[in-house]
Amino acid sequence: MVSLYAILASSFNLLIGYAGLFALSHAAFFGVGAYATAILAAKFGVPFPWPMLAGIAITAVLGVVIALPALRIGGDYLVIVTLALQIIVTAVLLNWTDLTGGTDGIRAIPRVELAGAKLDTPGTFLPLALVVAAICFAIAWRLGASPFGRALKAMRENEAATQAIGKNIVAMKLSVFAIAAALASVAGSLYAHYVTFVSAEGFTVELTIYLLAMVIVGGTGNLVGSLVGALILAVLPELLKFVDMPSDIADKVRQMLYGLLLIVMLRLRPQGLLPESASAHHYHAPPERPPVDTQVVAAALEGRGLERWFGGIVAVAGLDITIEPGRITGLIGPNGAGKTTAFNLLTGFLQPDRGEVRYRGRSLNGLKPHQIVHQGVARSFQDLKLFTGLTVLENVLVALPRQRGDQLLYVYFAPWLVRREERDNLARAMAILEFVGLGARAADLAADLSYAEEKLLVVARLLATGAEALLFDEPLSGLAPNALAKILPLFKRLAGSGRTLCIIEHNLDVIRELCDRVVFLDEGRKLAEGSSEDLMHDPELSERYFK
Amino acid sequence: MDLLAQLVINGLVNGSHYALLGLAFAVIFGTTRITHFAFGPIYALSAYGCWFAAATLSAPLWLAVVAGIATGALAGALTYLVVYRPFEREGSPPLVILIASLGLFILLENAIGVVFGTDTKVVPAPPSGVFLWGPLVITSAQLAQIAALVLVAGALGAYLTRTRFGKAVLAMTDNPEMARVIGIDTLRVSVVAFALGSAIAAVPACLILVKDGATAHMGFIAVFMAFVAVVVGGVGSLRGAVAGGLALGLVESTGMAKIPTEWQNSIAFVLLFVVLLVRPRGLFGGR
Repeated sequence: MVSLYAILASSFNLLIGYAGLFALSHAAFFGVGAYATAILAAKFGVPFPWPMLAGIAITAVLGVVIALPALRIGGDYLVIVTLALQIIVTAVLLNWTDLTGGTDGIRAIPRVELAGAKLDTPGTFLPLALVVAAICFAIAWRLGASPFGRALKAMRENEAATQAIGKNIVAMKLSVFAIAAALASVAGSLYAHYVTFVSAEGFTVELTIYLLAMVIVGGTGNLVGSLVGALILAVLPELLKFVDMPSDIADKVRQMLYGLLLIVMLRLRPQGLLPESASAHHYHAPPERPPVDTQVVAAALEGRGLERWFGGIVAVAGLDITIEPGRITGLIGPNGAGKTTAFNLLTGFLQPDRGEVRYRGRSLNGLKPHQIVHQGVARSFQDLKLFTGLTVLENVLVALPRQRGDQLLYVYFAPWLVRREERDNLARAMAILEFVGLGARAADLAADLSYAEEKLLVVARLLATGAEALLFDEPLSGLAPNALAKILPLFKRLAGSGRTLCIIEHNLDVIRELCDRVVFLDEGRKLAEGSSEDLMHDPELSERYFK
Repeated sequence: MDLLAQLVINGLVNGSHYALLGLAFAVIFGTTRITHFAFGPIYALSAYGCWFAAATLSAPLWLAVVAGIATGALAGALTYLVVYRPFEREGSPPLVILIASLGLFILLENAIGVVFGTDTKVVPAPPSGVFLWGPLVITSAQLAQIAALVLVAGALGAYLTRTRFGKAVLAMTDNPEMARVIGIDTLRVSVVAFALGSAIAAVPACLILVKDGATAHMGFIAVFMAFVAVVVGGVGSLRGAVAGGLALGLVESTGMAKIPTEWQNSIAFVLLFVVLLVRPRGLFGGR
């Protein structure tokens, strides 16, 4: 049973700990897997391992279906949707009597027969359970340790920023749901063969909470922790056997202990026995560094007649903007002028109600943010949105473009390619960090950076996406003069290398120092455009700016 | 046509039940933003409090209901002070508090089972009258259910809009951050919200006790339905929670004309699914 719990807890950890998707339907996936095996094996006599494979397919599809509403919503809503799935599955198991045996469940599920031997004692079943559990754990482990797993953690930290570095979070959520569900179903199949009897009572929400306790005790985001958690929580109830009490009471007391353990653990050590950082990967970058500010051929990013309404309020009204390559364009204007909305329109975070965005001769309308990054246009956020739970190096690594390690096909079937690519990427990421002056902090958590360092990391992460048109939302606000003196030359070098740069900025000294062209926005309209000198000497604009 | 009218009446009756649950959950969730899963077992505990007073202490039914409500209010306030408050003081993220509430859920649910046993608790039902209104049938128990909603929602509305403290609660539902900034004592408001919400939930708990009896597991479906009512109605809106609950009852009941009874929870699921896909902020959700 510990093997089964190990599979369940580690796959559950992929969802909660890595992807940050708090789904309460793991018992349902487990149950569907168990019933799939029970029905195929007991009623149709299908031999092992085919029922297990069928169960994998069914639950993976179920996982994708339940992930669909989760694409648009998060947090509490995901909890309620997955809880609803749990209830539905229980209802189906109890009421579709012809197929599932209703409240009686399904009995006399055949044992597994391997090489003519019937695995009908715990001793003979154990090797099979261990092997399958090891395979499942390896699958979960590869996923967690791969670039894909890194991207999942980034998504957990911040979804918008993960899109902004070019990741398709829709595909990521669907895949991780499918894999976690499929692994749970494998455990279900083993369970059915082992216990030879399934009924709906074995797959209730209480089981999910039990698994949750394992994950929390072991440590979220740490798969070895889940093994430890599964071991502890499976052994713990055995100790209760020494206390003399009727079995139904003992069962309840056991569950009370799980609940109590959960609360106490969260109070005293919320990161679990084995915290995530204990499994953080130590990267050793090769010594050679590819150059960072090489010449690139960028193009102008153009917005034509962009218009966007929120309710009855127009945020951007007929904006024409051209951001030329090899220069720094400043976007200025009072608060609420529509600067950030303009960024959102240019990078696909908002679709314009009217107008068009063009880059390299093609329209970007209708593209998702991550697709626009692939076209070569990326943006940063005013509130930084760093992946604070990841290291500085990981923040940059995760943003590097076109990683094979983001595709599960490569992760599982061509790991050597992923490894080789990862080596190159490490060198690139280190080069970028050294370029912005954060080389020494590579191994530190992004959460531990100073404010100025955070701003530098924002630049590094955006640069890592490989996009040539970079839009910075207030990259310099709140910086002290000596920090400014370090970061300003970076922007100049980037523009000098041919990149297309646009920054939103309030500090007029910085604008004068940095920007070749300035676009003045107010009330969603472009009021003026020109060199920074011209605009600053325009009395009407200063009037509006300082009103 | 008569059948439809009868189904609508039944839907309103069940809907009142869900609406009360939703209202209770919304009072807690709206003010404190705590996803309070232990709402379920506390709801069950209120029913047990009522049963204990009626069956063991042989109190008259009305007094037993008062005891049930008091049990709920006390348990709710204690839950907040003993379990949730320490997490909030440490600034734990919402997810951690949610997991803690799941731990509390399973702890309390099983504790009820250990203390009171697993059998269904019943109290002698008061004599029930049946009213015929043309071809439509409605029992006094059903009328009591609707009356309970009207009374509780009315009293709550008056409390929240007329009294100073009620306004503070309402302000916190609207915007917890802002409430803190303008100097509302959020600790007191949170305790009151938990007591008030749990007390409101005790009303449908006692009604269910009289109608069907109480079990330790009755809490799970209650907290689920309460949650669905709140999400369907729109998070942060008390009116929405009532509307969501009524909508849930109506859809369930009219759907039942075509679908067998045992699938009724599935109807709630479908409604939830559709609402989340079409209007993620719920029927009454703002912005």
